[in-house]
Parts: sequence; C-alpha cells; structure tokens
Amino acid sequence: MTSDANQQKVATTNKDDKGPCGAVLVCGGGIAGIQASLDLSAAGFRVYLVEESPTIGGGMARLDKTFPTGDCATCIISPKLVECMRDLNIEVLTMADVAGLEGEAGHFHAKVQKRPRSVDSAKCTGCGDCWAACPVRNHPELPAEFQPQIQLKAEDATRLDEILARHEGDPGAMVPVLREINNAYRYLPREILEQLASRWGVRLASVLRVASFYDQLRLEPVGHHVVEACDGTSCHSKGARAMLERLEEKIGVAAGGTDPSGRFTLRTVRCLGLCASSPAMRIDGQNFARLDLDGVSDILEQFK
Amino acid sequence: MSQPIRTAEDLKGVEAAGLATLYPDKLKIVVGSASCGLAVGAGAVLAAAIATVKELGLDATIARTGCIGFCSQEPLLDLLLPNGPRISYARMTPEKTRSLLAAYAKSGELSPDMALGRFAGEEHVLTGEGHVYTSSQKAAEAVPEWSSLDFFRGQQKVILRSCGSIDPLSIDEAIARGAYRGAMVAIQEMPQDKVIDEVINSGLRGRGGAAFPTGQKWRFARKAAGDTKYVVCNADEGEPGACMDRTVLEGDPHATLEGMLIGAFAIGAQEGFVYVRNEYPLAIATLQTAIDEAEKYGLLGDDILGSGWSFRVRIRVGAGAYICGEETALLESIEGAAGEPRSRPPFPVVSGLWGCPTVVNNVKTWASVAPIITRGAAWYAAMGTRSTKGTTVFSLEGAVNNSGLVEIPFGLTLREMIYGIGGGIPNDRPLKAVQAGGAARGCIPPSFLDLTIDMEDRPNESLMIGTGGIIVLDDKACMVDMARYLVEFFLDESCGKCVPCREGLRQMAGIMDRICTGEGSEADLFLLERLAGTMKAAAVCGLGGMAPSAVMTNLQHFRDEFETHIRDKQCPAGVCRGLAPTGTTN
Ligand SMILES: Cc1cc2nc3c(=O)[nH]c(=O)nc-3n(C[C@H](O)[C@H](O)[C@H](O)COP(=O)(O)O)c2cc1C
Ligand code: FES
Repeated sequence: MTSDANQQKVATTNKDDKGPCGAVLVCGGGIAGIQASLDLSAAGFRVYLVEESPTIGGGMARLDKTFPTGDCATCIISPKLVECMRDLNIEVLTMADVAGLEGEAGHFHAKVQKRPRSVDSAKCTGCGDCWAACPVRNHPELPAEFQPQIQLKAEDATRLDEILARHEGDPGAMVPVLREINNAYRYLPREILEQLASRWGVRLASVLRVASFYDQLRLEPVGHHVVEACDGTSCHSKGARAMLERLEEKIGVAAGGTDPSGRFTLRTVRCLGLCASSPAMRIDGQNFARLDLDGVSDILEQFK
Repeated sequence: MSQPIRTAEDLKGVEAAGLATLYPDKLKIVVGSASCGLAVGAGAVLAAAIATVKELGLDATIARTGCIGFCSQEPLLDLLLPNGPRISYARMTPEKTRSLLAAYAKSGELSPDMALGRFAGEEHVLTGEGHVYTSSQKAAEAVPEWSSLDFFRGQQKVILRSCGSIDPLSIDEAIARGAYRGAMVAIQEMPQDKVIDEVINSGLRGRGGAAFPTGQKWRFARKAAGDTKYVVCNADEGEPGACMDRTVLEGDPHATLEGMLIGAFAIGAQEGFVYVRNEYPLAIATLQTAIDEAEKYGLLGDDILGSGWSFRVRIRVGAGAYICGEETALLESIEGAAGEPRSRPPFPVVSGLWGCPTVVNNVKTWASVAPIITRGAAWYAAMGTRSTKGTTVFSLEGAVNNSGLVEIPFGLTLREMIYGIGGGIPNDRPLKAVQAGGAARGCIPPSFLDLTIDMEDRPNESLMIGTGGIIVLDDKACMVDMARYLVEFFLDESCGKCVPCREGLRQMAGIMDRICTGEGSEADLFLLERLAGTMKAAAVCGLGGMAPSAVMTNLQHFRDEFETHIRDKQCPAGVCRGLAPTGTTN
C-alpha cells in the first residue's frame, strides 16, 4: 500500500506548495502512454492519461506481430488496456486535448479540454449502435483545399513555371522536378514545395515524403561549398574515417552540419565511384582522389 | 553530315569518318579524362598538353578518352604516333607532359623510361577485326607491350571493348570500332524471337547481382500481354566500392545504348530509361550526348534504321538512395515516387513501369549484348565457366599494387586476380580478407583464394561474386570494424518500410558498437545470430534479407577476432579506438 502512503504525502506537501506534487499527466493513450501510466501508477503517482481519440490503445492493435519477438500484438495490448481502465490511480480522459500548460517542473497546471461525447458514458455499454445513427459522424467533412501560406516572389514563380514546363506531361516528374529545384536553390525551400503541392493538387505531405526520402534532396539550406567525404567500402579500408575527422577538425563542424560562418557543409556519401583511387571526396561536384591527410587542408584552401 | 543511317553503306561511311579521327595520320595526344582521371589531375595534364602543343607548334590533335582501367597509374597520357604505335605514359603531371612533348618535338624522342606500355595494334571486339599500327619505331620497342603487363594479362575486354580507346563524345569513333552493326543486323535481318534465342544461347546472365538469365527475362517480357513495354538500364550502382558502371557510361556510352536498342527491339518496347545515380554527373552528361548523337543518325527516335519502329531513351537521375538499385524500388523512383521496393510477384517483366511489362538490366548486361549479336552466341559462350558464360568487370581495389577496372572471363581464381592482375599487396604484407561481391557478402578469408570467380557458389570450387568491387584487405584491417561498417552502411540505407530491417539493423549496430568499444559480451554474439535469423526470414526486400549475412560471414570466418575484442578487450589490428592494439597472444 505504498501508493496510498505516497498519496497522503502528496496531499500534505501540495498544500503548502513546497515539494513537487504527486501527479503526472501523460499525453497520448497509445501503447507507450498506457505503459507509462501503469508504471507511474505502480510507482505511486496519480496519473492523468489524456487521449484525443475516443478510445485508448492507439495503433498497436492494428498490427499483426511485434518485433523482434514476433508476439501477437493484440495479446500484448489487451491486458494492458484492461489494467489501465481498472487502475484507480489512473484517470483516463479521452476525446480530450491539452489546451494549456503553465508552471514549472513539479508544479504544472494543465488545462484539459474535453470534447463532447454526445453519449451518457454512465449508461454506455459499448454496443456501438449509436455509430450507425450518429448524425454528426455521417456528415462528410472534406478537408479544405490546401492553400500555400506564403506567396512566391515573382522571380521564384517564373523559375518554378519554367521547371514545371520542362516536365509537362511526364507522369514521373516528381523526382526530376524536385532535383531541379534542389539544384537551383541548393535545397528545397518550403514555400516552393507548398506551391508545388497546390499546383499539382496533391498534399504537401506527398511532396515531403519524396523530398525527405532521397539523400541528395535537402530540406535545409546548405553552406557556400558542399564537401562530400566518401565513406564507401574501398575508402573505408583506406582510412576514410581518419580523413573525415581531419575534415571535421579543419572545417569545425561534425559531419552532417554547416560551419557557423556558412562556408562549408560537410556530409558523407557512400561511394563516389572513384574506388580504385580511394580515399576520395568531392567538393561542389569536383572530385579529388588518392587523398592523404595533409592534402585535405590544401584542397579546402582552394574553396574560399 | 548527320544523314540518318539506313543501310550498311551508310554505316560504312560513318565508320570511315570515325577511323580518320581515331587513327589520324599525324600525332595524336590522348588524355584519359574519366572521373577517376580527373580526380587525380587529368584536367591539368590535358591543359598542359594543349598549351605545350600550341607553344611548340606541334602538328597534333588532342583528344580525350574514357578510363582504360588502370586507375592506379592515372593520369594517363597516350601518344599515338603517326601510323602508330600508341604509347601510354603513367602518373602524368603537367611538368612531365611538357618535358615529354618537348623531347618529342625536338628529336622524336619517346622517353621510354616514363612509358607504361605500348599498343602494337587495336582489337575491334565487335567486328573481330582490328587495326594494326604499321610503322614500327625502333625507340618504341623499349616499351613493354600492354598485353605483357601483369595488369592486362588474363584480362579479356568485351564490355570495356572501347573504353579508353575512343572519344566517348564521338559516335563516329564508336561506329568505327563496330558499334551499331549488331543493332543493324538484329533489326533488319533477324526476327525478334531469333534475337532472344541468340541471347539465351549465349548464356548471358544479369551482371547486376542476381545473375538471372537475360534472354529468359526478355522472353517473359516479349510474351507478356500489353502493347506498351519498357526497357530500363540500371546504372544506379549503389554498391559501395564499385565503379564499373560509371566507367562504361563515361567511356563508351554507345555500348549500353546499342544493347538497349537490341533488347527493346526484341521485346517490342517503345521507350527506355537509363537510371543513373546522382553521384555520376559526367556519366550523365556523356550519355546525354550519346543519345542526342544517336538520334541524329536515326539510331534512336522514329523509324530506326528504316524499319518503321520507334524507340526513345531517356535518362532519369537518382537522388542518393542505395535501395533505388533494387529493381522495383528503381521503377518506383522512375515513376516519381519515393524509392521503396514493391513486393514481388508480379515481377517487372509482367508489371513494371506504370504497370507495363518492363525489362530491367544492368549496364554491363546491356553492354554485353551487341557482341553476342555480331560475333554469335557460340563465340560468347566459349568464354567463362560451365555455369556462367562470358566476361564481367570488377573494380579491384584496396590493398593491391595495381588497382583499377578489370574485365575477366568467369573462371579465374581470386588468387590470379589479386596476385596476378593486381600485382600482389603493397610491401608484401599478408592478405587477411577480401570483401567481394557486394557489401552483403561480408569478408572472406584467404582460404577462399583458390576458388574460381563465378555466379554460383559451389563448395570447394567456385564463389559467387556477382557484382561489386573486389576490395583487398591486408593485416591492417579489423574484421570486427568491417562488420560494424557494413551494418552501419545498411542501417543508413534501409528505407524503413519494414520493421525487421529498420529495427533489426539498429539493434545490430548497437551490438557492434558495444563490441568495438570493448563493452561487448559473449551473449552479444548469440544475439547477433538470432537477430540475423529473424531478419533473413522476415524482411520485405533483398536489402534486409542480405544485410545480416555480411555480419554473419565475418563472424563465421573471423570468430576469434570477435572473441578477442570481447574477452581480452583487444583489437589485433589496432583499428578499434579504445582497445589495445596488441595481438591475440597472451
Ligand atoms: C538492395 C539491392 C541493391 C541493388 N543494387 C543494384 C545496383 O546498384 N545496380 C544493379 O545493376 N543492380 C542492383 N540490384 C539488382 C537489381 O534488383 C536487379 O536484379 C538488376 O538490376 C537486374 O539486372 P541484371 O539482370 O542485368 O543483373 C540490387 C538489388 C538489391 C536487392
Ligand atoms: S568507396 Fe569511396 S569512391 Fe567508392
């Protein structure tokens, strides 16, 4: 009965507002939120589990098996659902959103807004008949057509027009068009992607999905010069790691980043196709091979 | 000049023009200017050659060519004397170029001490004929013949037939060495099924890794229902440590284009795509020029060779994703989507690009087609082994004296490859392992050296090395570190679609990290084995299925090294940071 004792203590410390309060708010009632709530409750905390959808459980119940054990997903989650609903220390708030959060660690005040359920939950048996009859749910609500937030500058708009015109009628234009934008701006500016999505009448998410899949398409601006150090197998066997460290030291930024002055962006690639003359790197598309550690600094000097 | 080619006479006319620039009757200076040459200074050598010729008033033409394969000797500069012979100079610099040309201009001096090798003639593989350099120069005889160099002995050039010999931007020179004869014969004289029969009889198998019989693939596509069909060339070459496809496209783009033309004709396709990875800008530019030139000659486009049949080729450029080399992911990418693999079946030959029958072949596969048509299936099938016919290209690299592109008939042993062609290991260090056949094959120990290179694994006989580089590792390499490297590679490149691959690789990488930093335990090895089993059984595509075998191969052959890392917290090769570099003795 340690949890009772704890709650006693919480109640007293809470009154004079000195120690931390003994309650925790968990956002999201998927498997992670449920487990967190159960563990916290077992540790003696009062838990508020807030979930935006009508039920807890999240996406796990839809899975067939779980990795790496291959266990049946439903068999894992259902006992936890029951346990969570029965736990007196856990208050489940479904169809609810956290509307505001104030205070500091140990003394947060959360404002939770519950959306109407239109059902008397005391009388609900979960038969589901109301779903078929519900006038609200059966009214289709189409999402508003996507409108770009930012208007493009005239030059950007013409540039985009030109790029799109070059790929008119090509059913697989997405990757080539993104590549051209990426080459023109050296990354993919958000406003242009939004514009692209609305012109093509697709969701921004579909464009972002392709844009984020490919290594060479960048969603963030890059430095003045892009240094690509090869970490392919041949280069690795010829000391690519030491070379990368030398580059990181000289440029002053870890691989994947841009140095504070914006002169260089450093990244690694897997094989530049210069494997028989490894180790190799590429700066702004210019190849350098058969490198040695000291030569690297001289080469960087050529790129002001 | 660019009249469409219709007849054999037309082709002869172009051939004559090509021969005139290929073997001019005055001095010709040729600089190997593929990416690999340019990366080590071929650009400066070329500029020096141009400047010196002007300065000295030499009567010479200057040309570029692709990579002849001997990357460790680059930059290479060739002097093609009037009426021959052709002499290659290795490891050139602007200064050496100036002094070489100055000596030649002054007294015809050939500086044999700087020379690497000499061509007494040129073999035109496609026609079976050749070009003999007539004039013999006494001074040139001090230079060894190319074919007597270790690096070229045992090689047989079919795919690389014109790489390093022609100007890749000149279709005339390609035609002078026999290009598009095969296409003409196939399109004008052979029924489609006969073309496919010929390819089947040649025994040609895919050079992209899976080793599927090419002719059969074509037959499936030809039989598949539908009027719209596609051919696709897979030039994604994502395998780290491989640069063969780049060399072919940069050095002889018409080899691939002609193959696609013949394949498209055979299956009845109207459109082709070449999917080239983003990392190969020079290959893309060269190929685009080649396509434009071929269209001018009516070898691509409408009414090809007067047959009424149309076929176009377009280039699609990747955007940096290894998985796009997998054929279904590649098709997704061509369609403009994220390159995530599709489940098979249906196979692309039935339902590929936009649901139409599609043949996907590797660059080297396509480049092997034309010689099969011009020289015949029997000629091709005479090369290679019982199960795998013909030749293939590897990049030989890592700890070897002669690194570069090597084309051999199947059936050579790894030992002949490394100690013969490769000239052994620098400073005679001991060989520790070979990473061959792609990242997923892991590293194999020296006990495999006498197995033959093949496309099938037969115990005590042959080793499947379908594609990729042959990366030689000496005793300075750590096999645990290599295993960790390979896992990290696959982790990076996993598309994340299926859990076994996405999460399994993350776990594997964690375990390898632990072992390499001295935190590993015996139980980790057991965990690795279990994880590998799960991934192999459950991953959606080849990547997740193959990835664990890289680690398992290393573990199987170098278990003691793993155990030294775990038990003694030592890295025998001194590669893993934080572990003592002492040997296993204690
Ligand atoms: C993960 C993965 C990566 C691959 N990468 C390549 C590649 O880079 N180049 C290639 O030609 N084939 C690659 N393949 C093989 C292709 O899927 C396909 O088998 C090949 O393009 C067929 O051509 P072929 O019959 O001429 O070999 C890869 C396969 C897998 C599973
Ligand atoms: S491994 Fe570095 S260029 Fe291929």
